[in-house]
This record gives sequence, C-alpha cells and structure tokens, in this order.
Amino acid sequence: MEDKTTDQQTPMILSGIPPEALATLHGIETKKTRYKRNLIIAFAVLITFMVSTLIIIGLDFKFMVKWLPFILTGIGYTLLVSFLAISLACFLAIAGALGRLSLNPVLNSIATTYVSLIRGTPLLVQVYMWYIALPQIGKALEDLGLTGTQALFTLPAIPAGILALGVCYGAYMTETVRAGIQSIKIGQVEAAKALGMTNSQAMRRIIFPQAVRVIIPPVSNEFIAMIKDSSLVSLMGVWELSFRAIKVGRRHFQSLEMLIMAAMIYWVMCFILQLVQEKIEAHMARGDRRTS
Amino acid sequence: MMKNSNPIVKVTNVHKVFDRKHHVLCGIDLEVNSGETIVILGPSGSGKSTLLRCINFLEEPTAGSIEVDGTVICAGKNSRQRDSQILDIRKKTGMCFQSFNLFPHMTVLENIIEGPVTVLKQNKNQAIPYAEELLDWVGLTEKRDEHPSRLSGGQQQRVAIARSLAMKPKIMLFDEPTSALDPELIGEVVEVMERLAKEGMTIIAVTHEMHFARDVADRVLIMEDGVWLEEGTPEQIFSHPKEQRTRQFLAHIL
Repeated sequence: MEDKTTDQQTPMILSGIPPEALATLHGIETKKTRYKRNLIIAFAVLITFMVSTLIIIGLDFKFMVKWLPFILTGIGYTLLVSFLAISLACFLAIAGALGRLSLNPVLNSIATTYVSLIRGTPLLVQVYMWYIALPQIGKALEDLGLTGTQALFTLPAIPAGILALGVCYGAYMTETVRAGIQSIKIGQVEAAKALGMTNSQAMRRIIFPQAVRVIIPPVSNEFIAMIKDSSLVSLMGVWELSFRAIKVGRRHFQSLEMLIMAAMIYWVMCFILQLVQEKIEAHMARGDRRTS
Repeated sequence: MMKNSNPIVKVTNVHKVFDRKHHVLCGIDLEVNSGETIVILGPSGSGKSTLLRCINFLEEPTAGSIEVDGTVICAGKNSRQRDSQILDIRKKTGMCFQSFNLFPHMTVLENIIEGPVTVLKQNKNQAIPYAEELLDWVGLTEKRDEHPSRLSGGQQQRVAIARSLAMKPKIMLFDEPTSALDPELIGEVVEVMERLAKEGMTIIAVTHEMHFARDVADRVLIMEDGVWLEEGTPEQIFSHPKEQRTRQFLAHIL
C-alpha cells in the first residue's frame, strides 16, 4: 500500500487452483478486512470516550481557545531547544560510540565514563549543574588565574538547557549507536577489508549506513522523549510551552484546561515525529527482504 | 612438481595459533605461480580457510611470512608501514566468501563500483563502464539496479565475484564459494570460476567442488590438522593418492 516500486512482486492469479483453496484464501481475506474494520471502530470508540469525558467534567473550552495562541508561542522555544539538543546529542552519540568501540585506552575510558556518569545521574540535577553550578566552577578557575572563565561558564538559560539535554541524550544514544554498529555482521567488515578499505572507510561506507537503519526506531524514541524533556528548561524560567501553560493555569485557577492543552500540543508534535520516523524507515528499508 | 623462481604468492612457514591453545596452521609453505589454479581440500577444521584468510591478512599469521606480488609481510608487530603494505596486498587480492557478504544497502552496480570508487579513488562515471562489463561477464546485466536481497544465492555470489574483479586483482581467493548454495545454483558459480581460470587468473580456492578440482585445477593440495598431507596434479591426487589418509578423505567426499 505504501510503495509502488515493488512492481512485479504482486502475486499473479494462477490457473488451476482448486476451489477449496480459493475458499480458504477468501476466508483469510475476509478475516483481514474484518480485523481492519474492527480496529477502526475500536479507535473511534476510544477517542469518543476520551472526548466525552472531557466534556462531562465541564472543561472550559472557551478559556482554552482564548489562551491557545499564547501557549503556542512557546513552541518556538520548545522546538529550538529540542532541535539543537538533538543535533548535539547525535554528534556526541557518534563520537561516544566510536570511543566505546575504540581500542585506544584514553578515548575508550573517556567515552565509558561519560555514558556511565550521565546515565547514572538525574537529568534534573544535570540541568541545574549546567545552569547554577557551572558558574561556581568558572569562578573557582577565575580565582586560580584563568581570566574570562567565569563569564564563559555563566550560561544563559537556553544554552544551558541545550547543553544539558544534548549531553544527557548523547549518553543514552551512544549506547544505541554502539549497539547498532555492533549488530552489523562481521562478514561486512571482512568484505570491505578484502577490497582494500581502511577501517575508517569501512566504517563510513559499509558499517555506519547499515547501522543507521537499525538504530532509527530507538533514536526516534529518544527524539520523542527529548521533545517532552525540553520542558525542563522551564525550570530556568524560559517561557516555553509547558511553562506558559502552567503560569496561565495557576493565575486563573484553571490548571486542568491548560495542562490538557499543553499535553495535547506535545502529543501532536510527537505524533508528527512518529510519522516522520515511519517515512524514514520505509525509505531506509528499500532492498530489505523483510518488507517485500 | 612445478617450482618457479618467481611465484606470485609465497607463503613461508606460516603458523596460526588461536587463543594460545588452538594450533590451526603448523608451519605451512605454499608457492603459487602466476596464472595457476590451486584447489585446497581437507576435512573441516583442518585450517584451509584460515590459510586463505592469512594470505590477505583477514587473519594475522602468528608466525611466518606472506609474499604477494613482490610485497613481503612478516608476522609480528603492527606498524604504519606494515598496515599500508597489507592494504596493498588486499588491493591486489580479490576474495569471495562462503556467505557472499554483498553490501545490502547498495544496489548490485553500487556494490561493484564500491571498491574502485572508495579504495582506488576513481570517480563514479569512470568506474561504471567496467562494472557493467563485469556484470555482463557474470551474466547479470539485468540485475544492475536490484538490491542483493532480491537475488538468489548463486546470483549473489556471481555479483561478489564481479565486485572483487572490479579491483583488477592479480589473485583471487575463493573461500568455499559454493558451500552456502542450493545444489542447483552451484553450477552457475563454478562456471564463472572456470572462465576466470581459463582467462589466466591466479586462483586459490578452498572448495568441495570435485568437478572444479578435477577439471580446472592445475594443482590440488590436501590439508589436515594444519599441515599439508599431500599435493599433486588432480590426476595424481584423485587417481593415485600416495597417502592412506588422502584415500580415506577422498572416499568420504566423492
């Protein structure tokens, strides 16, 4: 249903199929369509149920619509922080994975400690570290005679948030990328080497492109989680989506409306990301037998 | 026995020890002349594949030396110069694997030009005509833009051969190229190997294809437990084996 490139792959109607076999085939077909129909009904019922619950509890929709533009303005920060943090995380993840797989003891120990330390501490603590604790380190270094470090280490809220999220997700994604690289069969490296490729050529041309296919679903997971965790920058007073929703809700004693609205907006963003993921996966799967 | 003062491949006293306990190759010598076709036979686990993989350094010999087309590399410590010599040997040596190992994310044509483009730094347009010529030579022109997963095992192995040949190697190593194939697909791969031998390629093959060994090989060598058991022309080996062990082994596989 999604790709037209698999032309000659559609099964042909063969002559000489006995009627009872055709009946079985027909039975399977009706079962499939019945299942699809029931699935759609189930979704529809579920959504109706959710919406009617919101109506029954007396949600103030007028209030929601009134504040919607104000809340939506916060998306800019959410997307800015998420996008830059994801870019940083991808870069760190590739560097980290190569470090984790490296035979160089210095690189390997740095990468391993990075992953262990960052994964082992709460993101909340890390956010405060970048924002509140880092200037103290800067001051200590300044006192030791490194002029300019205090100013350098005193970060505004948004850069601090981007660094916190990027470094944190980079650590998780390091493991994802490493596992993806290690999932590629040794024969692929051997074939590349037998052609005379260097290790880095084999990595760039053969291993990494295949690993990317494997890691797209888990990395999409991280992206979706990151969109939501970007709300943590509100801790530093950035007027992003959730911060605006909470502020407005508190001021007018209508937190429920505002929180539901914020939740819905996050859901829509993540849903769009999920669609993008599916597109990319379908694109990457070309030439993959499992999809044909 | 053919002795040539200038063999293209010269393996001297090669040992391979895995994990400090498995002595797989025990002082192997081998000389192969340019244009010769060698078939290595032997029971599984005798070290045939390991020897083949030592020749292009996919496996590091534990001791001894390998010479390929004038480049001599001894077992031992890695150095920058040695690494580049290994790459040099690999560029001159094509290898076909039992499991084909085509690159699944590339089309057939992309697989074939990958070596020339990435390793020999040719540009794509330069590499494509020869790749198409090779594709025609292995009889798969119509599969040019397919991905490997759409091909049968025999077709995949023929593409793998074309991919190796795109590097214009002087020696081809075949590591059980037909062992993973359904019986009816073996013929098409062996036929390509035969043509390659007829065109004067130097071939070292580990294979259980007796027809190839008997009709195409110039020399057959039998390995057992990491040492040569017997060597000779196919006629000598198959009709008048000297060693009792050779006779037993042949009785098993024929």
